Formats: sequence, C-alpha cells, structure tokens
Amino acid sequence: MAAQTTNPSKGGEPGAFAAFLASIGGGFLSAAQTTGGMTILLARILSRVLRIKVDGRELWKNLYKMAVKSLPIVVVTALFTGAIMVIQAATIVKRYGAEGLLGWGAGFGTLREIAPLLTALMISGRVGANNTAELGTMVVTEQLDALRVLAIDPISFLIAPRFIAIVSTLFMMTLFADALALLGAAYTGQALLGVSPTTFYNGLTAGLLGFGDVANGLLKSVVFGLVMALASCYFGLSTSGGAPGVGRAVNATVVTSAAGVFVLDYLVSFALGG
Amino acid sequence: MISIQSVSKAFRPAGGGPPNQVLEGVSLDVPASCLYGLIGPGASGKSVLLKMIVGLLKPDAGSILVDGADVTQASELDLQKMRLKFGMLFQNNALFDHMTVGDNIAFPLRRLTDLPEDQIKSRVMERLAHVALTGFEGRLPAGLSGGQKKRVGVARATITKAPIVLYDEPAAGLDPVTSQKIFELLREEQRASGATVIMVSSDLDRLLTVTDRVGMMYRGRLIFDGTTHEAKTSTEPRVRQFVHGLTEGPL
Ligand SMILES: Nc1ncnc2c1ncn2[C@@H]1O[C@H](COP(=O)(O)OP(=O)(O)OP(=O)(O)O)[C@@H](O)[C@H]1O
Ligand SMILES: [Mg+2]
Repeated sequence: MAAQTTNPSKGGEPGAFAAFLASIGGGFLSAAQTTGGMTILLARILSRVLRIKVDGRELWKNLYKMAVKSLPIVVVTALFTGAIMVIQAATIVKRYGAEGLLGWGAGFGTLREIAPLLTALMISGRVGANNTAELGTMVVTEQLDALRVLAIDPISFLIAPRFIAIVSTLFMMTLFADALALLGAAYTGQALLGVSPTTFYNGLTAGLLGFGDVANGLLKSVVFGLVMALASCYFGLSTSGGAPGVGRAVNATVVTSAAGVFVLDYLVSFALGG
Repeated sequence: MISIQSVSKAFRPAGGGPPNQVLEGVSLDVPASCLYGLIGPGASGKSVLLKMIVGLLKPDAGSILVDGADVTQASELDLQKMRLKFGMLFQNNALFDHMTVGDNIAFPLRRLTDLPEDQIKSRVMERLAHVALTGFEGRLPAGLSGGQKKRVGVARATITKAPIVLYDEPAAGLDPVTSQKIFELLREEQRASGATVIMVSSDLDRLLTVTDRVGMMYRGRLIFDGTTHEAKTSTEPRVRQFVHGLTEGPL
C-alpha cells in the first residue's frame, strides 16, 4: 500500500516502469487465478461424478448434440487427413517402390498424432466454443441463478453432464477419425499410387504398428478432452458483462484449449517416449 | 416470516475505483402471509435485496432470517434445501431459452416433485390459461414478446405454489388491463395459499391496490415501512412524491 502513495512523477520513468511491472504481475495473477478456479471447478465436477449426481437426461442430450452432430465434420476432416498423409508420402513411396510401407507410414503419424490433434481442434471449435457460449449466455441472463433458486445444483445439472459429454465425444470421435483416416489413406493409396487396399492393410498390421500406437493416440484424446471440457465450462461459468462478456469467454476458451492441447500433446508424447 | 436485519452491501467495480454502496443498514420484517410491496426509484437496491433473500447474493454485513434460519450463513447445501420454500420471478424473467414455454413452466414440478406427467401437463395448462397464454406451450421464449415472456415467468414462479414468492416487476411491459389482471390473480392466489409474498413493482397505482404493507427503498436505505394506507397518506416528502408521482419534490 505504501508504494502506491509515493509520488509517481519523481524520477520521470518509474511510472511507466511500474505500470509495465504491474502488467506482468497482473498477467501472472490472472493466470494463477484461472488455474486455481479451474482446479476448484474440477474438484466440484468430480465430487458430483463420484456420487453419481449427474443428470442423466442432460448427459444424453449433450452427447447427442456434441457427438452425433459432430460426425459430418469429423468424417470430412478424417477422410481428407488420411488422403493428405498418402499424398505427402507419395514421392518417397514411388521413388523407392516402398508400397508395402505405405500403410505404416500413413498409420503411424495418423494414429499417434494427427487424428487426435486435428479431432481435438475441430471439436474445440465446434463443441467447446459452443458450450462456453451457451453457459455464458445462461450466466449473464441469470438462468443459472434461476436454476439455483429452484434448488437445483448447476454443477450436477448443467456442468457435469457437459464435462462428461465433451470428454467422451472427443474420445469417440478420435476412434472414429482413426478408422476413417486410414480408410481415406487406403483409397487414396489405390487411386494415386495403385497400392491395393490389401497391401495397405498388410503394411498397417505387419508388426511395425501395434495396439500401443492406437492407445497412445486415444490417451491423448482423453487428456485433450479433459482440458477442453474444463476450459470451456470454466470460462462459460465465469462470464460477466453481458454479450461482449460471452464473446470474451468464447475467445478465452478457444485460445486456452488450443494452447492446452499443444502443450499437453508435447508432454504426453514426451512421457510416452514419442 | 422474513426478517432482514441491518443488511449492507457494496459492489466493487471490476476495473477498480470506489465501491458502489448498494444497500446500507436495511432492516425489514415481512410478516407471514403478507403481500409486501417493495417500491423505490431505479437502482435503489430492490432487486439486490430480493436476490439476497434467496441467497444468490451475500451481504457484507447483517443477516436475513427466513422462518428463523439465517440465509446469509447457510452453506450451499442448506441453501438448496431452504430454496424449496421459494418461488421467484426475476426482473429479466431468466427463462430457460433452450426449453419451450411449456417445459419452462413444468420444469420446477418435474425437478422438485414426483407428480405424474399428465398431472404436470394439466397444471401447466391451467397456469398458461391464467396468464392468457393458452396454446403457447410449444413456443420457444426467443419468439415471445416482452410482456409474454414476463407472463411465462409469472407462470413458472407460481407453479409450485411455494410458501414464499418473490416477484421482481411482475407487470413490467404489460398493458394496463393485463397488468391489473396479473396483480389480481397473484393477490387471489396469495390469499388462497397464505403465502408470504414480496412484490417489487414500478406500477404503483396497481401495486397498491393489492398490497398489505409497503416498503420504500431510496439509495440503498429503507426510508419507509408501513401499511398500504400509511404509504398513501405518508407525509414524508420522498414517499409522498414517489407514491403520488409528483414532479416537484426532493427526488
Ligand atoms: N451483480 C452486480 N454487480 C455490481 N453491481 C450491481 C450488481 N447488481 C446490482 N448492482 C448495482 O446495485 C445497484 C442497485 O441495483 P438493483 O438492481 O437492486 O436496483 P433496482 O432497485 O432493482 O432498480 P430497478 O428498479 O431499475 O430495477 C445499482 O447501482 C446496480 O448498478
Ligand atoms: Mg430491479
């Protein structure tokens, strides 16, 4: 407090420097506040999940809205991702006649990295942002308060079902994207390089790829799902300031989810040895 | 019975700056089965006070006893139990906008009671008829006019026949005829059920035809509390000016 009462005009620069320091400090404080807030929210959600106090109807509704309605976009992304992997590998495969390795080449990167990552980014844009906007709107229009007055716990009624739905949606969509990307790759391999689907399949299953690679990608999808679900519920619930506030909350969700997904991708890949 | 004791509240603006003292030492008793009208100019703290009674906002100081239990000290779990006693209409209605009108009104019954669906349906129809919205059950709130939303809010707040009901502007945006009907309906139901009701309204001419007692807020303080007759005949300059809608005076 004493620092604030000293005369800022003394010595010319300190005012600007202090403001600079304050902005750095403020950034750290708000990051710490966000992390703390998310941790508390996660604990609250888990306490409802463990006591099975999650609204079943809301869960199904959200699973339908999030997972089923995401199918078209996942289909398109996954098929083309598989195709792109083959196009990238095409020159090498042609030059060395390594048709037998095409399945492995396309499969390795897709299963371990590309499918979980791209699916997470698609779902973050479609589901995470939407979830924040919905929750944020409910907060600023006092619908959450209306729930509370009706003696309903917003965490078990609104948040926990959405949290579970986001995590499971991402898991299922990644599994689905894995299959579709390989399908896309196989057909592109045949159309572009004349590699028969059988050869592709053999390359995929000849032993260079195993269940571990699929599990690696799926584990990532769960980790991504957790961070996305938490960010999108947290920023939705902490919305304030009307419609512009909802915009800011959605923004924060998209940025945090994307950054979180990449950082965690690095950490998980590192921990699992690539 | 609701007993508000020396409640104060200040909001700190997000960007810093001086705190906004919204309530200052408000004390007020609302007897059981009383229809209490809360009046006062804009931003005098009426809505904030209502939200405190249901525990949505915590005062900085003071206590609020509802049937003897202190809402301000209650844990979230205790509050959940206490709130079973309450019905509430928010000033902005707070309708669930992903649910149809019918589902909005049925929601409290579906969540809080074990009534079979056909009984819930008939209760909803009866509520809709009372607020002159028969046939609207399938519509979404986004497609309603301001006054229609208000009436859906009233229907939702009254469907559980809660022993304590708080209405924040039940007649805002309604034409004089519908407004009078709503006030009379709420009064009739309050008499029939013996509920304790607090009603905030700017439509004084109509509000004062149904209230038992009236309180007036001014800049975060309660400057008047008395019977409806006392309010109408008060000589306190601010109350007199406000109740009679005079342009000359201290307000
Ligand atoms: N959540 C909040 N955060 C910060 N300030 C608030 C909040 N809610 C209300 N206020 C402030 O409290 C004061 C009183 O608001 P309140 O909504 O109780 O007024 P009111 O008497 O209901 O007015 P009106 O008749 O216009 O509805 C206002 O100055 C408002 O800015
Ligand atoms: Mg108000």
